[in-house]
Amino acid sequence: MKKFIKWIASGWMLILFFIGFFLFWEYSIPLFDIPRYILPSPSEIVLKGSADLDKLIYYTGVTALETVLGYIIALILGVGFGIAISFSSILRRTLYPFFVSIEMTPKIAFAPLFISWFGFGLMPKVIIVVLVCFFPIVLNAILAFNSLSNELTLFYQSTGASRLKTFFSIRLPAALPQCFVGFKYAAINATVGATIAEFIGSDKGLGFYISIVTGNMRPDLAFAGIFFLTVLGLTIFGFVTMMEKILIPWHISMKRINK
Amino acid sequence: MKNFIEVTELKKVFGNGEDEVHAFGPATININAGEFVSVLGPSGCGKSTLMLMVAGLLDSTSGKVEFENKLVNGPKTDIGIMFQDNTLVPWRTVKGNIELQLELRGLNLKDYQEQINNILKSVNLDDFADRFPNELSGGMQQRAAFCQAMIHDPKIILLDEPLGKLDAMTREKIRADFQKLWMVKKPTVIFVTHSIEEAVQLSNRVILITPRPGKIDREIKIDLPYPRDLKVKRSPKFAEYVNSIQEVFHKYGVI
Repeated sequence: MKKFIKWIASGWMLILFFIGFFLFWEYSIPLFDIPRYILPSPSEIVLKGSADLDKLIYYTGVTALETVLGYIIALILGVGFGIAISFSSILRRTLYPFFVSIEMTPKIAFAPLFISWFGFGLMPKVIIVVLVCFFPIVLNAILAFNSLSNELTLFYQSTGASRLKTFFSIRLPAALPQCFVGFKYAAINATVGATIAEFIGSDKGLGFYISIVTGNMRPDLAFAGIFFLTVLGLTIFGFVTMMEKILIPWHISMKRINK
Repeated sequence: MKNFIEVTELKKVFGNGEDEVHAFGPATININAGEFVSVLGPSGCGKSTLMLMVAGLLDSTSGKVEFENKLVNGPKTDIGIMFQDNTLVPWRTVKGNIELQLELRGLNLKDYQEQINNILKSVNLDDFADRFPNELSGGMQQRAAFCQAMIHDPKIILLDEPLGKLDAMTREKIRADFQKLWMVKKPTVIFVTHSIEEAVQLSNRVILITPRPGKIDREIKIDLPYPRDLKVKRSPKFAEYVNSIQEVFHKYGVI
């Protein structure tokens, strides 16, 4: 409770800004005579959205499943490949440049292909989320596992410790902060991947919902869908940030922010 | 009898073809057991390269290093090592960092608790055992790194400009710590530095390295009594040593 009050106290400017933003939105609509099929007011979005709440919650669950599943698979593959590439000179000369060049392609461009190959179900969406999340994770992991300081490398060599032991006592913890840069970037992109995949071809999910209601000239419901997508994105990002705090509380950049 | 450490015609060339950089040597050095030897030279002369080759942490281009008649052909593990940038890891406390040395060597932490406390006390860090490195000043970090490098009682200690980034007062203090430890435990120390005063104060012998490619210009035995405290440092003999070394480097245009 004390923490909450402190948080409110430190965030009051931001809270005021948000209140002001929504008030401006609410009252500029009658003021400028904006038709509701172009831009609905916040109060109308809440009102109409809550009438459709069951559907919205169900679709949020659908999109959340695609996003989280894809994200976890990307995490496992990304870190796995990252470690493999960091420790194998053959992979570093083959897979690594391959990954870097694929990183330049907009992965979302593959979405229609995957839909046509795998149909409207869960799998093509998960694949697209994996594709969107995998590259930032793997590239940051490679960077992370290759940036151990020269001094620490010489230090562990002078102890005669096995590779496995050094990996768990030095290399892995030293790599975590940079890995989390990739994890967080991927977490931001994960919902984007799922939503666009649903735009292109699906019969449920928030992306599907938004594209349907927009087609029916219901921007109020589209905004309600966007709100739920935002909540989903924030939850995933918040969870990753929480994991970062739990796993690497010693990380300097976090300590500075906390002060 | 052979020497404890024998370095024969040791040479290092980095890169090849047009990018070739002749970094060090060839040089021949003998070091006795328990000797405190400083390797003194301008920056870029290859003195750190020499130290790493002696420790087997860097392959030489030609020549050889022998410890008690045994050829070095991989990293030596009965050593303690300290660099200008310390080897403390940010996710462990001071004590945890000291224990890291023991853990990596597969030693039993329980057997060392008393020694950890003692060595921390000897450098006035006993109140900071549970602090993380980024909570300490640069000098305190380096003292913690000192404990980390010494806790397993290495027979050979390699110091690569460990005081390079510290302020003058802290340097003075840590020099005294080095000297104290060396006088008690008598390890063999190879101390790489570009501070003439530091080299004269601490060592039995100073090896002067020329600008790159580093070769041995001469060796100077420092015949002063230990412990070399302020009184010794103010003595005319101390100044004489410092002056004669300065003259050598002046000749090379380094100072």
